[in-house]
Amino acid sequence: MMENKAELHTPKGSEKLRGQNRIRLLGILFSASFFAIAVQLGQLTLKPKVAPANPELAAHETPIPRPDIIDRNGVVMATDIAVASLFADPRKIIDMDEAVESLTATMPDLDSKALRQKLMAPGRAFVWLKRQVSPEERDAVYNLGIPGVGYVNERKRVYPLGRLAAHTIGYVDVDTKGIAGIEKFLDDQGALYTASLTEPETSTSAPAQLAMDTRIQHAVTDEVAKAVIKFRAKAGGGIVMDTETGEILAMASLPDYNPNSDDKRLTSDQQNKLTSGVYELGSVIKAVTFAMAFDYGTATLTSKYDTRSNLIIGNARISDFHAQRRILTVPEVFTNSSNIGTAKMALQVGVENHVEFLRRVGLLDRLITEVPESAKPLLPKHWSKLASVTAAFGHGFAVQPLQGLSVVSDLINGGMAIPPTFLKRTKEEADVLAHRIVKPETSEKMRYLFRLNVEEGTASKADVLGYRVGGKTGTAEKVVNGRYSKEKSLATFIGAFPMDHPKYAIFVMLDEPHATPETYGFATAGWNAVPTASKIIERIAPLLGVTPVFTAEDLVKLEKQAKAAKKNG
Amino acid sequence: MVKVFNALLVMGLLVSAFFLYSLEHSTRGLERQIAKMKTGVSNQRESIKLLNAEWSSLTRPERLQKLAEDRLKLKAITASQIVSVADLSSKIPDHPVVKLDDQGTDPIGDILAKMQ
Repeated sequence: MMENKAELHTPKGSEKLRGQNRIRLLGILFSASFFAIAVQLGQLTLKPKVAPANPELAAHETPIPRPDIIDRNGVVMATDIAVASLFADPRKIIDMDEAVESLTATMPDLDSKALRQKLMAPGRAFVWLKRQVSPEERDAVYNLGIPGVGYVNERKRVYPLGRLAAHTIGYVDVDTKGIAGIEKFLDDQGALYTASLTEPETSTSAPAQLAMDTRIQHAVTDEVAKAVIKFRAKAGGGIVMDTETGEILAMASLPDYNPNSDDKRLTSDQQNKLTSGVYELGSVIKAVTFAMAFDYGTATLTSKYDTRSNLIIGNARISDFHAQRRILTVPEVFTNSSNIGTAKMALQVGVENHVEFLRRVGLLDRLITEVPESAKPLLPKHWSKLASVTAAFGHGFAVQPLQGLSVVSDLINGGMAIPPTFLKRTKEEADVLAHRIVKPETSEKMRYLFRLNVEEGTASKADVLGYRVGGKTGTAEKVVNGRYSKEKSLATFIGAFPMDHPKYAIFVMLDEPHATPETYGFATAGWNAVPTASKIIERIAPLLGVTPVFTAEDLVKLEKQAKAAKKNG
Repeated sequence: MVKVFNALLVMGLLVSAFFLYSLEHSTRGLERQIAKMKTGVSNQRESIKLLNAEWSSLTRPERLQKLAEDRLKLKAITASQIVSVADLSSKIPDHPVVKLDDQGTDPIGDILAKMQ
């Protein structure tokens, strides 16, 4: 019809031309659309669109890798290795008896009864046979060819150093979730820190670097372990801390445990006594009382205190262990560890100021570090005059041993409170966190007293010639059935070196040490905790780069020692 | 004219198709290579980790101490054995006598001079 109409209205010559025009138009249209497709195709091949439109979703898909834990020198303390875990789908197992038999034959430690029970449980589609098996075991089971038994690759946390620093590092459960120590910190409070270590591009993670030095950690552990055996103590502990940065270079609590073992039901003895336990630290706390008296200006190095008679407060009588029965100067009160003298110093300051000072140095609050196991201090319910006086010489209130060391470290480092840390920290970072708690002059006096106490006081056995050690001992009687026991005590030593500019603070604790023939029947700190500290310092000072300096007196002593050694040897 | 043009287009099509497929083929090859290398890298990383852990376990201080006590006749260092560079010259033992003139050079002395 259309053709006919066109024929009617158009002349014959122009009809051909019209048809050609139409073809041309079609050609242009086609080539235009093909061109558009080609351009689009080219664009897609040259610039492929990158997949995730929603970055948040993508971040959740890849699990955050667990960082390794390394010490301050880069020694690996905890790392992940690849292992296989065997599982079974009971519905797919055809011959249950044969499966159980061959599985227990290849893995003798599997209990056939328990395994059968697990596999027979109705409605289960997934059962772990054994987690974290060795590659050989995995291949052996795989080669059995039991239908429904397979394996998945998993990551296992290992601690190459074994027991060393187990309390600080902590451990993870079978699903590599942190349960204790730094491992728990990485999952919980430290999650932000952990996230900051991850490198999403390579889906790896930078290691978490601790302040700890494994060499020092070992020296402390080794010497404390020897002391625990020698003095038949129930437990022991040692800490080494950098006074300027608050870094904890070593912390050993004995008895310890092996974080690599599968069964980690720790007995109460195996807990970390240095942070998760609180103790009445005894005479080492006198250092705090002295600093308080100096800082309030109620006592100077030349003040004198009458210790001739016991101090009576209410029904309580305060007496001295190393009784002198004379008027003592302040340094003498310190070196003789006089309870009476210290109590009188606290009385001069007054209860209110005493409590205020204890709060200022941080002995009344729970010390919180990266290691989550931290105990709250045990404080008197009511700060009476008697409570204040007993607190002055370290009784009637209990704190974490780490807390005690940290406070003493703050008192002698120039008077700046620096929160202790298990993570590596620079001096600049520490300075930002620091705040003043006592005057520099007070700190100067404390250094003098600490050094004097080693030169001629209760801590004389700590004097490692050349390293200028200073320290204070404490022998706290333990409370047994509500009474202070005469036999059971806690021997402690808090010291620092080199005393002219204290850089390292050290704490040693022995729980219920016994007297030995060598100690002439004494079980006080001066005879056990102090020599232990001295041995530790002798071992770690060269590692820490402390240059020994000898006075003329030291040289004379050294010569005598050498002569004595020649005679014996 | 149109025939020639068409023939050229067909030729072009064949050439570009061949080019495209060879390109894609080599791309696939490279992709396989990348994947292989990636698994290789992650395997190597894994073994580095394992070796690091092993190294750490073998050099743990507890083990070294035991080995040193069993095999070596060394004692722990004492403070009096540490001497500063400045005091070193006064600590030279009398025997055996050091004859610098015979030696001609003094390598240790040179190092000390450099340090000071």
